[in-house]
Amino acid sequence: MSTTASVVDRLRARIGVDGESVSAPVEAGHVRRFVQAIGDPNPRWQREVPPTFLVALAPVSAHLADAEAYGKGWLNGGNRFEYFAPVKIGDTITATGRVADVYEKSGSTGNLLFIIFETAYANQRGELVARLRGTMIRR
Amino acid sequence: MTKRGPREITAKPQISWGSNIAVGQELPELVKHPTTRQLVQYAGAQGDFYEIHYDQAYAQGVGLPGVILHGLLKAAFLGQLVTDWLGDHGTLKAFEVSYRGVDMPAHPYRCRGRVTKVTGKDVELEVWGEDETGKRTTIGTAAVQLG
Repeated sequence: MSTTASVVDRLRARIGVDGESVSAPVEAGHVRRFVQAIGDPNPRWQREVPPTFLVALAPVSAHLADAEAYGKGWLNGGNRFEYFAPVKIGDTITATGRVADVYEKSGSTGNLLFIIFETAYANQRGELVARLRGTMIRR
Repeated sequence: MTKRGPREITAKPQISWGSNIAVGQELPELVKHPTTRQLVQYAGAQGDFYEIHYDQAYAQGVGLPGVILHGLLKAAFLGQLVTDWLGDHGTLKAFEVSYRGVDMPAHPYRCRGRVTKVTGKDVELEVWGEDETGKRTTIGTAAVQLG
């Protein structure tokens, strides 16, 4: 199908190219709402952020919206976080995402499109604080 | 929903920090009781408004049995499993999860883990989330550095 083929081609053309960076402050109220939502009352999260909070600061990849012409729904395949320095309330984090790989697989219920994305998170001092690699699947 | 709400129940620690960490030791398990309300709360806090997490008709329309937990909410539960256990004894260095099945609200979600490797101060863990039938719907690993 020409539509899905062009979606795949468009995403493949961006492999390895950084998307536009997004900066966001780590606000106490946002972290509080996040830890209430996950039900984690650890007092440590009054100073720093819990392990998965970074996904709430910025879209994990600006490119994912372009994949929505493929299939009818999303599946999250997995996430890998690497941590290099703590992220504290009051920091400003800049997230830069890119597509690392794009490929199709045929499954029992039709074709699947796999998008492997990578997002790097740096703080206001330019220090790399974390990296996220994830697999999003269109089906 | 019970009067207690979606609060977690933490079992007694199986690892004593006074003794050595050894391969095979289990982390104190964490049982979560997610509700549809919690999924809406999480959708707002993360900014993920994909309808499969709060709109029953939409979820069924894309072939799901009903609304399902966000993968990243299950990852957050497993993150809590590790950070509750770790406390101030070290730092989380890496955390990876793979989603193998869907989970629905109003069903308990059991988070478990165990030590798989110890190299000096570096400890590797296997972590997983089980549904009420014992099926591992999320599997993963974590790496921590003690000290």
